[in-house]
Amino acid sequence: MALCNRQLSPLQRRTTQLFGANLALTATLTVAAREFYKQTHPAFVTVYLLATLLTLPVIGVIVVVGRYLTRETDEFVRMLVVQALLWGIGVTFTVDTFLNGLFAFPDIYRLIPILNLDLFCVTCGVALRVQLWRNR
Amino acid sequence: MKNRLRVLRAERGWSQADLAVRLEVSRQSVNAIETGRFDPSLPLAFKLARLFDRSIEAIFLEDSLPGIQEPG
Repeated sequence: MALCNRQLSPLQRRTTQLFGANLALTATLTVAAREFYKQTHPAFVTVYLLATLLTLPVIGVIVVVGRYLTRETDEFVRMLVVQALLWGIGVTFTVDTFLNGLFAFPDIYRLIPILNLDLFCVTCGVALRVQLWRNR
Repeated sequence: MKNRLRVLRAERGWSQADLAVRLEVSRQSVNAIETGRFDPSLPLAFKLARLFDRSIEAIFLEDSLPGIQEPG
């Protein structure tokens, strides 16, 4: 059960697929919502509903990760995943706080629209890869 | 925590992958336990003990901790 892409356990493969699906859903919903806002100037209620809709992939990722952690029987791999998640949370909070501070200054426009969930997922992925490389 | 896993495994001619299959864990887990980077849980320690037909104390050697004395 080596942790290469080709040799993932069924649970790991399923989790990776669901993780990817949530990322794709995030990107799709975000782009669609932006276009919708631009073209229709919706009412406040619609804006709130759309904003709520955008949280669905975030909840999806939490459910997917929670499901994985409760079902993963390899405690060492589970520990690596938890460490990767902590890296993801840490980097996301840090970058988010930095950008919020930066964008509070009125002359700086939001040049880089970074999505927290994307940043979180990418950081988790990179951290897990590094962990697996260190423990190869 | 130190352990004699590598020696016991070598005595049986098993690779890390062989042991991983028997324990139903990843090869990385076996490697991490052998090198002392990861201490297994009690259920996994018992599984190892059963597999090698030894007591847990015969496989895992406690690091000497200052302030802890032997009973009796």
